[in-house]
Amino acid sequence: MKNGNGKKSVREVMGSEISRRDFIRATTMGAAGLAVGSLSFAPFTYGAGKPIRIGTIQENTVGATVYGYWLTKAARAAVAKLNAEGGIAGRKVELVEYDTKVNPAWASSMYKKLILEDKVDFTMGSVHSGVQMAVFPLAQQFKMPYFGGGAMAAGLTGKDAVAYYSRIHTHARMQAAAGWKWGFDNLGKNWTFLVADYAWGHSLAEEFGSRIRAAGGKTQTILAPQNTSDFVPYLQKVDPGTKVLFTAFLGAPALGVMRQTVELGLHKRLQRYTVICCTDGVGQETVGKESAGAHYLSYYPRHASQVPKELQAYDKAYRKAVGMTDDGKDVSDPKNTATVSHMWTMWTIPYMIKQAVELSGWKDSKKNADFMKAFNTLKVKAGPWAPQGDLMMRANDHQGFHNHYLEVVQPDLSLKVIARVAKEKLMYDAPVDLRSKL
Amino acid sequence: MASNLAVAVLNGIVWGLIMALIALGLNLIFGLLHIINMAHGALYMLGAVFSWYVIELTGNYWLALCVAPLAVGLIGLALERGLLRTIEDKPLVTIICTFGIMLVLQQLALTYFGGTARRIALPIPGRFPLFDLQYPVMRIVIAAISAAVMVALWLFLNRTRYGLWMRAVVQDREMAVALGIPVHKVYMWTFVLGSVLAAFSGVLAAPIVSVDFMMGREILIMAFIIVIVGGMGNLWGSVITAVVISLIHGVGSIFVVPSTATVFSLGFMILVLLVRPQGLFGE
Repeated sequence: MKNGNGKKSVREVMGSEISRRDFIRATTMGAAGLAVGSLSFAPFTYGAGKPIRIGTIQENTVGATVYGYWLTKAARAAVAKLNAEGGIAGRKVELVEYDTKVNPAWASSMYKKLILEDKVDFTMGSVHSGVQMAVFPLAQQFKMPYFGGGAMAAGLTGKDAVAYYSRIHTHARMQAAAGWKWGFDNLGKNWTFLVADYAWGHSLAEEFGSRIRAAGGKTQTILAPQNTSDFVPYLQKVDPGTKVLFTAFLGAPALGVMRQTVELGLHKRLQRYTVICCTDGVGQETVGKESAGAHYLSYYPRHASQVPKELQAYDKAYRKAVGMTDDGKDVSDPKNTATVSHMWTMWTIPYMIKQAVELSGWKDSKKNADFMKAFNTLKVKAGPWAPQGDLMMRANDHQGFHNHYLEVVQPDLSLKVIARVAKEKLMYDAPVDLRSKL
Repeated sequence: MASNLAVAVLNGIVWGLIMALIALGLNLIFGLLHIINMAHGALYMLGAVFSWYVIELTGNYWLALCVAPLAVGLIGLALERGLLRTIEDKPLVTIICTFGIMLVLQQLALTYFGGTARRIALPIPGRFPLFDLQYPVMRIVIAAISAAVMVALWLFLNRTRYGLWMRAVVQDREMAVALGIPVHKVYMWTFVLGSVLAAFSGVLAAPIVSVDFMMGREILIMAFIIVIVGGMGNLWGSVITAVVISLIHGVGSIFVVPSTATVFSLGFMILVLLVRPQGLFGE
C-alpha cells in the first residue's frame, strides 16, 4: 500500500502492525537497557549535576619540567581513580591543565583563564614559589581554593599566606626542623651553606643555620645564582674547617654543584647534605658513583623497599596507578626518574577535595569558604589515598604535616632510609591565623 | 689566598677558552653573514645532547666529540639552505627567525631528551693538587683542545683557499662575486662551521656542566657580551675578550661574592663600550 505521494506507509516499513502494548514494552526495555549500560561506563549519580573541574598549573616547559611531568601524571591518575570510584558527590571529575612556563606572569594569566574561561571549581599545582605567589591575589579575589604542588618557601603559609591557599606538604622551616639535629649530631658542627640566591635557598640557609648556631655550631653561607654552570669560584670559598657542605639548587645546577664538589675533591674531607628537592627526579646514576655517601632529607622514600612496612601495600598500589617502578622510575622509560618526594601531593589532594566537599556539603562556589574550613581541618589516615602516611592539616595557617626521612646514597647508588622523623616533631607555632579571613 | 688565586686564574683561562670557542662561532656567522644568530646557544645545547646519546650508545666520549658536532653541522646546513638563505639580507627578520629556531630546538630537546639534567662522566677523571685544593685534569685537557681548535681555525682561515674566499667575502662581497667566488656556498659553509663550533663547545663543556635542554640560554648571553666587547666581526678580539672577562670574574670572586664579581665583568663591558663603542678590536 502506498500513500498518495507514492511513499510506503510506516506499517509497510515495519513489516507488521505495532500495538500500544508492544510499543510500551519495547521502549521500557530499551530505556532500562540504556540505563544499565550507562551505569557500567560512568558510575555517577543521575542528575547529580555538571562535572567538578579541577584546574592544574604545572611546570611543563622551560624549566623544572621533570616536576611538571610527574605531578601531572599523579594528578591524572588520581582523577581517574576518583572517577572509577564514583567521582565527588556523584559528580564526574575533570582535569584542566595549563603550563606555567616557570613564569609567574604567564602562570597568572593561565590561572585567570582557568577561573574565567574554564570555570574550574578548584585549583592545584606548581612547585615554584614565585608562580604560587603570583596567583595568590587571583585565588583570593575569586575565592578560588588553591592547593600548592611542591613549592617550599616557608612564607607561602607564613607571612605571605592567603585564606584560599593550602599546602599539604613540607617547606623550608619544617625541613630544617626535621633535618638539622640529625645532621648536627651525625655529620658535623661546622656547616657551609652553598645555596641558590633566591627565597628558597635563603630560607634553607637561615632555617638550618639559625638552629646550628643556636646549638653552638658554626656556619658560613655562600649564595650563587640559580643558573650557575661553573661552581668552582663558589666552592673554592668553602671554609677549610667546614665539616658539612649543604647545597640547595634545582635542576641542572643541582647536578653541577654535586659533581663539581667531587671534581675538586671536597667530598673526601667533608660530608654532603641537602634536601631531596635538589635531586628529586634525578637518578643517582646521573649524579655518578661519587654521590655515594651523600645525605638527603626526603618526604617519601624513593625505593619501595625503603617504605615503612605498614605503608607498603598502599605504596604498591600508588606506584602502579601513577606508572612508577619500585625503584622510582617511569614504567615506560627506566631512565626517567620520578619526583617521588613531591608528586604524592597531586595524588592526595583530589581525595582531600572529595572529603572536604562531602564534609562541607559543597555544591558550587557559594560554599567555597565552608569548603576551605573543612579542608583545613582534615586528618587523612594512611591508606590508598595517603601512601606517604598520616597527614594532618592545621586550620590556622592551612599547613599540612607529614613524616620526613633521612636517606643516604649507597655504593650501589640506591637511597637507603636511615631515619624517619615523625610529623609530630615538626610542629611549630603557626605564624598566621587565617581562620577569621574566610 | 695563593691557592684561591691559582684556582681562579686557571679556571678563568679554562672557561675563557671554552667561551671563546662559542663566541668564535657566533662572531664568524655575524662577521660574514651579518646574521645575529639567536639559535647559537641552542646549537651548543644540541652538541651536548647529541654527545650524550653517542656516549650512551658507545661509551666513547672522544667519538662523541667527533660525531655530535658533525650532526649539528648538518642541522646548520639545513637551516641555512632551508630558512636563512631566503632572508639573509634582512637582519631584523633573521633575528626573529633564529629566535624561533632556538625555541623549536629547545622544545624538541625537551620532548625527546627530557627535562631532567643528565651527566656525562669525565673521560679523564684525575685531579692534581693545587696548593691546598685540587683541580680536575679534564678541565686542562678541555682548555688545550679549545686552544688547538682555535689554532686550526686560524690555519683554515689563513692558509686555505676556502679561508681566503671567506676573508674576501667579508672584505668586499661585490668584488668577491665579480671575481667568481661562490658567495652563497661560502655563506652556507660559514654557517655550518659556526654551528659545528657551537656544538663542539657544547660537547667539551658537557662533562663539567650538566646536559640540559636549557643549557644554551645563559651561555648565549655571555657569548653576545664577548662578541660585542671584542668587536663584532673580529674573531681574535672575541678570544682575548673571553679570556679577560673570565679572568676578571674568577679573580674578582676571591675578593667578593662570586655573583657580585659578575658586576666587574659587566662593568668592564660598559667601560669598553663607552670608550670604544665598536668594541676592543672592532673597526
